[in-house]
Amino acid sequence: MASSQPLTSSVQPTDVYGGDEVSAIILDPGYSSVRAGFAGEDAPKSFISSYYGFHNDRQIFGDDDTHNPLPGMEIRNPMSKDGVVEDWDVAKSLWHYSITSRLVPMKQTDPRTNGLNDDTKDMDVEMEGTEEEEKPLEEHPLLMTETAWNPSKNREKSIEIAMEEWGCPAFWLQRNSVLAAFAAGKATALVVDVGATITSVVCIHDGLILKKSIQKSPLAGNWVSSQIRALWNTSEPKIDLIPHFMIAAKTPVDAGAPAQATYQKFENITDSFRTREEERVLTEFKESVVQVWPGPGRLSSPNPAGTTNVDYVKAQPGRVFEFPNGANQMWNVERMNVVEGLWDEKAAIPIPGEPAVTKGQTIPEMIKASVNAVDMDLRAALLQNVVVTGGTTLINGFTDRLNQELLNMYPGTRIKINAAGLTTERRFGSWIGGSILGSLGTFHQMWISKKEYEEFGAGVVEKRCK
Amino acid sequence: MSQSGVDVSPECVSTFNELKLNKKIKFIIFKLTDDYKEIVVEEASENGDWDYFREKLLNAESKSKNGKVGKGPRYAVYDFNYDLASGEGTRSKITFIAWSPDDAGIQPKMVYASSKDALKRSLNGLATEFQANDTDDIEYQSVLAKVSKGLA
Repeated sequence: MASSQPLTSSVQPTDVYGGDEVSAIILDPGYSSVRAGFAGEDAPKSFISSYYGFHNDRQIFGDDDTHNPLPGMEIRNPMSKDGVVEDWDVAKSLWHYSITSRLVPMKQTDPRTNGLNDDTKDMDVEMEGTEEEEKPLEEHPLLMTETAWNPSKNREKSIEIAMEEWGCPAFWLQRNSVLAAFAAGKATALVVDVGATITSVVCIHDGLILKKSIQKSPLAGNWVSSQIRALWNTSEPKIDLIPHFMIAAKTPVDAGAPAQATYQKFENITDSFRTREEERVLTEFKESVVQVWPGPGRLSSPNPAGTTNVDYVKAQPGRVFEFPNGANQMWNVERMNVVEGLWDEKAAIPIPGEPAVTKGQTIPEMIKASVNAVDMDLRAALLQNVVVTGGTTLINGFTDRLNQELLNMYPGTRIKINAAGLTTERRFGSWIGGSILGSLGTFHQMWISKKEYEEFGAGVVEKRCK
Repeated sequence: MSQSGVDVSPECVSTFNELKLNKKIKFIIFKLTDDYKEIVVEEASENGDWDYFREKLLNAESKSKNGKVGKGPRYAVYDFNYDLASGEGTRSKITFIAWSPDDAGIQPKMVYASSKDALKRSLNGLATEFQANDTDDIEYQSVLAKVSKGLA
């Protein structure tokens, strides 16, 4: 089978490249998406949503089917907001899907037992055939990434799944912040990672995480979305967030005018489905309109003209956003207000029913707390090696503002921020790092082999993957 | 062993010991072999001129996986001498430098960063170390300030 040859000829390791062909798979699971692909490639071949559909007791994975407005389908997520696995059964199936849907072909199963030819009347004829479960990764070592705060129980669970259920010949777990630092060419770095549900700041010295320095906060991409919701809810007139799937037809209207659209009716659409579809509109808004006030100072700070930066921004041209129903309007200082809370807790838009943002949750304060937790002698080196990663850091103006905030907090110190210019490198920083590591010939000796696992049990992961 | 599994060739340690004990060699530049298997000595020089050394780092190259040659990271050890501002004499500090220019390819950057601790750990007697990522980081004045902790 041609497709079982995992590397295309263009990325086939050569002697120049130095990688022996191991066709390792790199799996980088996060709250909003799972990234999977072959070691040695530039970007993950398989990129799927972590959200899954739950419909009639069945799990539905992937980006096509979960956006289908099925009556009664719930949208769920196996990860906790902290980025660690909560529902192992689903996580396992989701990862399995991310690998088998794009990378490793499903092995042909016995037509008598695979269920495809089942006639409903003789369903329970022969079930013991399914005992021989498919082991999709028998030929592929698996390198998985994890957060810096992944509990050891979860780490052991990962190796168990890889070894026992998927039949991997070898396994490795690597902290995603370390991979991001290495990919930026740094063994010592302060890694600022702003993802979907969690923002983290971690100090790394000589490739090892300094545990005391780990800072986490829920002020990340999804929080920015909730700020936008709060903004729209309090707008005059209130903005109805109607996702794309509900629009049957629309006609163009002038800015600020009510939408001229006809809507489609669906039966029994769940709240979770609707929320996720709304989230897509919010994502579009974040990508095209939202901007971080780049500095100097904060959005509320006075400026040399004797007014505040808010007045300055108001005098600048805004940006237009068109909603799925065709309504459109200009966004001016509001597009900066929704992200200002990441930096300044006083600027956060209050969300009814949720606790107010605290100072300690803002990015500058997290960095300060993280740096203060490490040895004095290291601090200067860390501030010179700030690595920025995660999809939410791609919001316009993010790194400029971070730089300004750091200069403010540490006057006279040399600050240097490293943020990959390529969008893919920023979004997939830890996957790419894993991809390079996993493709190295010398990395062979690092892998935890099946034999070691059988000898020492799941605890081996704690000993080996520091 | 490093986190990447890359090895350090024995020659790295012996050359470093020569620098440390005989004081003739002024700097050593280490590189990873093209197949990324081992760290070897690229150059050991008795020329103590900083700018000469700096040029060597700036012109270092690495091959990316598709064979393209681009800027390359390096490791280096420099026997750094400076006079104390207080007039209390000359100090010498064996300095380890992890040079990884920001505009080098992601693959060499990744491999050098993940292999660094292996080399560092096998060299006994380093007085100080720093990470450098752009041309400013290896200007003589900025290095002097770093190495002497502002006492020069």
